[in-house]
Order: sequence, then structure tokens, then C-alpha cells
Amino acid sequence: MKNTKQNLVGEGVKFERIRRITGYLVGTIDRFNNAKRAEERDRVKHSIDTLKCDKKAV
Amino acid sequence: MKVVKRDGKVVSFNDTKIAIAIRKGFVNSRSATSYTEDDHNKIFTKVIEEINKRYPKDGQVPIEVIQDIIEEELKSLGYVDIYDSFSSYRTRRSESRKAFQNRQHKLMKAIESLSLKTAIEEDSKRDNANVDGNTAMGTMLQYGSTLAREFAKSYIMSPRIASAHDDGEIYIHDMDFMPMGTTTCCQINLDKLFSRGFSTGHGHLRPPKGISTYAALAAIAIQSNQNDQHGGQSIPAFDFYMAPGVLQTFKKMFKQAVKEYIDLLEITKEIDFDKFVKKVDELTTMDVDIKTFKEFYEKDKQLEKSIKKAYDMAIKKTDRETFQAMEAFVHNLNTMHSRAGAQVPFSSINFGTDISYEGRMVIKNYLYALDSGLGKGETPIFPISIFKVKEDINYFEKDPNYDLFKLACKVSAKRLFPNFSFIDSPFNLQYYKKGDPNSEVAYMGCRTRVMGNTANPDKEIATGRGNASFTSINLVRIGIKHGIATNKEPNMEEFYKEVDEKIDLVKDQLLERFKIQCSKKVYNFPFLLGQGLFVDSDGLGPEDDITPVLRNCSLGVGFIGLAECLTALIGSHHGETEEARKLGLEIVSHMRERLDNISKQYKLNFTLLATPAEGLSGKFVAIDRSIYGTMPGITDKEYYTNSYHVPVRYNISATEKIKIEGPYHALTNGGHITYIELDGDTANNLEAFEKIVRCMHDNKIGYGAINHPVDRDPVCGYTGVIGDVCPGCGRHESEGIPVEQVEHFEIRTECASCTK
Ligand SMILES: [Zn+2]
Repeated sequence: MKNTKQNLVGEGVKFERIRRITGYLVGTIDRFNNAKRAEERDRVKHSIDTLKCDKKAV
Repeated sequence: MKVVKRDGKVVSFNDTKIAIAIRKGFVNSRSATSYTEDDHNKIFTKVIEEINKRYPKDGQVPIEVIQDIIEEELKSLGYVDIYDSFSSYRTRRSESRKAFQNRQHKLMKAIESLSLKTAIEEDSKRDNANVDGNTAMGTMLQYGSTLAREFAKSYIMSPRIASAHDDGEIYIHDMDFMPMGTTTCCQINLDKLFSRGFSTGHGHLRPPKGISTYAALAAIAIQSNQNDQHGGQSIPAFDFYMAPGVLQTFKKMFKQAVKEYIDLLEITKEIDFDKFVKKVDELTTMDVDIKTFKEFYEKDKQLEKSIKKAYDMAIKKTDRETFQAMEAFVHNLNTMHSRAGAQVPFSSINFGTDISYEGRMVIKNYLYALDSGLGKGETPIFPISIFKVKEDINYFEKDPNYDLFKLACKVSAKRLFPNFSFIDSPFNLQYYKKGDPNSEVAYMGCRTRVMGNTANPDKEIATGRGNASFTSINLVRIGIKHGIATNKEPNMEEFYKEVDEKIDLVKDQLLERFKIQCSKKVYNFPFLLGQGLFVDSDGLGPEDDITPVLRNCSLGVGFIGLAECLTALIGSHHGETEEARKLGLEIVSHMRERLDNISKQYKLNFTLLATPAEGLSGKFVAIDRSIYGTMPGITDKEYYTNSYHVPVRYNISATEKIKIEGPYHALTNGGHITYIELDGDTANNLEAFEKIVRCMHDNKIGYGAINHPVDRDPVCGYTGVIGDVCPGCGRHESEGIPVEQVEHFEIRTECASCTK
């Protein structure tokens, strides 16, 4: 029998997901209250195809 | 219609009060979690129907009858458990209608839910994501806050203000600190603090010598001051404050190196070392031509070589020590839990505009330290880092700090920090005096901004000032009441009338609290006032009135949910239509104007704040849903949109969002922030990232940040975007993998300092 069990690492270890909430970074979404969690879930990414406002040196 | 109260008093009929009573019946019952606001609203609608059926429009309803109707409807619609708890609550209340017992009941109720539920079950335990509600100290903190809040409501505040807060018309932030009279935050002038040394209450700290002690004392200052306030601490010009420390380190290193060389080569007699030391001590920058020291080496070739080598060595060593100092500073601010509940101080630092050699060395190394992360490569949560963008300093390609601006973009694309503030935006530029860092706008990380000063026009500066307290208005409810959500046509006259009433109510509340704050003495805030951190607090005696000092603070009036308010008023928000865009600006301009007038009238700084909605985001909407039910685009989410933001769910391009939100920055003088959300790939496109920051600058944004996913696998250390599987080691979340698989993985994340 292969003895793999004792060499396993990371069991039960979650990934950390750093997010910004009202200006502060938070290490895990678990600590957000329900409303903030919902807000984070709803965020859509903004497209950048039309970036055209670049002021050049005068 | 009128309502007859128990004491016989006749008051006008207010259906909001009924909705809130019904809501309380649900929320206070044991089975609260099995019901939603839609259930509350269903009962409410039936109760109002029933009252209208039984009483004529000009009739008088006794309050007991309203309660009977609520009970009847609860029973007939099958909410038996709520009926039971409502009627038993009613019985208990009528038995103990003495004020003291009511208060006690409320307190016990609040304590009960804290003690018996874990943070996962109890939403209020997770109000502040920086407090770990499950730890012993965290729970202790929550007992304290709960009691302080109820005490404030029952004994300190005017009843009309307390009930406006409870009913969700306004929200008084940090109410638990009201009895203590603390102020929110401070923009600390480290220069002043360092020039004479300072005392933390556990001994005097001498003026620092060298960058390591400069950085260490900066962290100590932040930690000491946060115990005197309930909000955050900000360093307005970190680079300018640290630069002298870099120069001191250089001088020490240079003298040391020259000494070592001449000792080693046994040429001590060829140089007047005391005179050399004096010459070095007189230097005002480390960026000097080596010929400055010609007089010491002109007679001796070997000496010339040694001094040149020593100079290069000293520069290198100073650079390294500066990096270590910055690394330690960041580490310190992320690990020193100096408040209960495993909280580190809420710290922010502003930097980016010092073009001196030393200042640039600070900025560069701070960014490198941020980039390399904490001990295991974790992304630092604190301090909130803010890069100040300014034309002719770091904005154009020809500018002396343009390279550092680019580096800031690169680090931000990996670590979410730094954020960017924009001194060129007219409302910030008006205070700017070239060469005076005190005149450069600084932000508290969360977004608070304190610059203008109606109370004291000579002190329109960032340093030594902060916010006293802030309170937010539920803009959405006013919109619902007077907009097409509940009427045929929006009634703007009534809308503005109520907005003004709410602003005045908040003004009264802020003044009520300001009075408590001003009644305190220097010994209540031994660091903040005792060490002269607040402007004009130098030399205040123990019994002196602190009012003149606190007048320099801002009193913030915030708002929540402009987007939902607009939808309630006219059916669309400012992301959607030009009409809403115009109306949004009109509403917020109106608010600002009123606050400017109030400021002049009271000679105080009432400022308009784009509220950071932590803790508040879901509270207003839950109450409004109980009153008005679920209204599409208004009360159909679990939260209201932040201040003037375009709703996070709305699909819009980055440019468009920046253009729409830009004008609000000029109006919200108490603080603002605009976010752009990027996916991982776009954030890694540095050209695109920089363009967004430039776009913010060009559209007169005051303060902005770019959000993108930053994930990390603690097992292998991979930092980047992680989907279901970690790209570093190939494991799924919570999955165990053979240890060899982890060891094969070498950290792939790039380090800004290595690639340079
Ligand atoms: Zn991994």
C-alpha cells in the first residue's frame, strides 16, 4: 500500500482572496458582513477599449 | 389621519413607524432568520389596507387598535410564531413601560445576540471586517460597543435623533465612541513630532537619527495616536518626513566607510578627519559631486580612490538600509495588534512628490517593500498607500519622478496598493503651494479629506487636522417617498425640502456630538493633544478648553445610494441616462451648497462626504424593504450603492465611469473615491493600468483606486489570480497534495526590484 497520506499538505487550507472594501483591503471574504459580500459578488469588470483621455506634456 | 397615543396625545399618522414596528416584531423573534423583508412588507401592506378600511381619512386611530390589527394580520396570514412573539413582547412592554426597564430590555436583547451566536450567524459581529468577532477580545469589544451605543441613544442623544437613526433615516457612524468624545482621525505631521522627540506615556523618545529609527518612530506615532481616536491615522507626506533620516544614515555610513579605508590603508595621517566629518555633517543632500571633498584628497591618489569608493559604498548601504526600514515599517503596521479584536491601526500614508535624492530613495524602497510583501509574500493590508500624482513632478514623461509613478502603477497592479490621489484637480490645486508638502492634499485611506477651513482660514492645510465625526443620510428613502417609485410624478420640491430637513437634522446631531467632544480635556487624549498633533494644540494646559483646536476638524455629512435614489425619482440612474446624470449632479450640488452655507453660519467645517459604507451598506435597504417592499433597481439588492458611485452591477467602460463620477469629487469636499474594476489579465497590462490612472487625473478625480483579484495560496505561496485550481501547485481549495509537488513550485510572481 502506498503511504501518501502522511505526506499530504494543505488539507483544509483555503485560498486567500484579498479584496478592497470601502477603501480597506481584507484578507478573506468571510469577514465581510452579508451586504458587503453581496456587493463584492455583484461587481462587474470595467472594459478598457475606449480609453482616450490622455493629457500629453505641453 | 391621526394616531392617538397611550397618553392621549394625538399625533399625525406616520406609516413608516408602523412598518418599523412590524419589522421589529420579526427581527426580535426567535425565528427571525426564516423571514425576509418581503414578509414584513406583506403584513405592513395588509395592516395599512385594514386601517384605511376601518377609519376615514380624517379619523383618529388609537395606537392599541393598530397593534391589534397587526396581530390579527399576523395570525390570519399564518405567521403564528411572529404573532406569538409580537403579542408576548407587547404584553411584556406594557407591564414594564417604565423608561428604565425599556432601556434595560433593549440592552439585554443586544447583549443576548452577541453572546449566543457566532460571527457567522450574527451579521453585526461582522460589521467591521477588520475586527475578528470570534476572538475573546473581539467579543469583549462588541459588548463594550453595544452597551456604549445603547447608552448613547438612551441617555446622550435627543430622542428625535436617536429615532431617526433607528428608523434608518440617518446613520451615525461610530456611535459607540460618542460617550467617550473621541474624534475620528488625524493627518499627522511627523516632521514636527520628530524635530523635538515625543512621549508616548511610557517614556520620552528622542529625535530619531537615521532612516531605521525614523521609520520605527513613524509606526509608534501611528500606534500611539490611534488609541486617542476611533478612526484611522494618516501620514500626509511620508517621503518628505523620511528623507532627512535617509540623509543621516548616509552621513553615518560615509564617515564610517572613509574611516575604515584610511585605517585599513594606514593613511590616517594624510587626512584631517575631524574636518572631514564636519564637512560631511554640513551636507544638505547625499547627491553631491565627489569634488566637494577635493581639499581632503588632492595630495594623495590613494585617498582620492578611498573617498570615492567610500561614497559609492555609503550610497549603496543607505539604499539597502532604507529598504529594510520600509520593510520593517510595513511589517509593523500589519502585525502590531494595538486594539482589541485583533485589530491593527487603520493607517494610511501619502507620498510620491518629493523629488530630492533622499525622498526618491524613500519612495522607491517603500514601493519595493510593498511589492515584495510580508514575510511569506502576503499582500500587506496596511498601511493604505496613496501615491500623489502631480504634473511637473511625476505625471509627464519628462518629470523627475515619472519613473516612480510608473513603478507605483506596476506595484499597484500586483498588490492593489498604492491608490492614487490627484493634486492637479482644481479643488485640490487651489490649496497647493509649490515646495510646501503641508499644502498638498492628503487622504485618509478610506477616503476622508480635510483641506478647506471655514473655521480658521489661515489653516487651510492637510497636516495636523482630521474629521471630528460623520453621519450619513439615507438618500434612497427620500427618493422613494417623492419619486415615481410611489407617485405618478416626481415631486422635486418636496424632495429637496426633505433633503434639507435631513441635512439640518444631521447638522444638529453633529453639533450635539461636537459639544461632547469639546467638553473633554487634554488628558483624555494625551498623545493627540498632549503631544501637539492637532494643529494649534501646542501648549494647551490640562484645564484649557479644547474647542478652538477641534474647530479645525471637519464635521462630515455623508450620503448613501444616489443611484437608487435617482432610480426611485425618475426611473433611471446616472450610469443609464443623461437625465439622471444631470439630476444627480443637481442633487449633490444642492447638498454641498447647503453645507457651505451652514459652515459659514456656524464658522465650522461641515463637509459633504461620499460615505464609505462599511457596516451601513445593508442596514438602510433592509429597513426600506420592510416599509416599501422589493422595488426593482431600488430595494432589490442586499445593499445600497456607495455614495455617488455608478452601481457595481452596471456594465460600463472604465472611461465612461470615470467621466461620470469625476464631477462628484469636486462636490464632495469631505472625501471621495472612485474605483475601477479590472480582471486579472487587464491589470497585468501595465500600459492599460497606467492609462486608467491618467484618465482619472485628466477627469479631475481627487482620489482613485483600481480593484482586481489578488489571490494567494498559503500552501505554496503563489500570488495572482487563482480560479478553482492553484496555478502554483495545482491543488484545489482545501485539497491536500504531496509535499514534493509544493517544493517543485518556485515563486513565480515577479519582484519589481529584481527586474529593474
Ligand atoms: Zn498552490
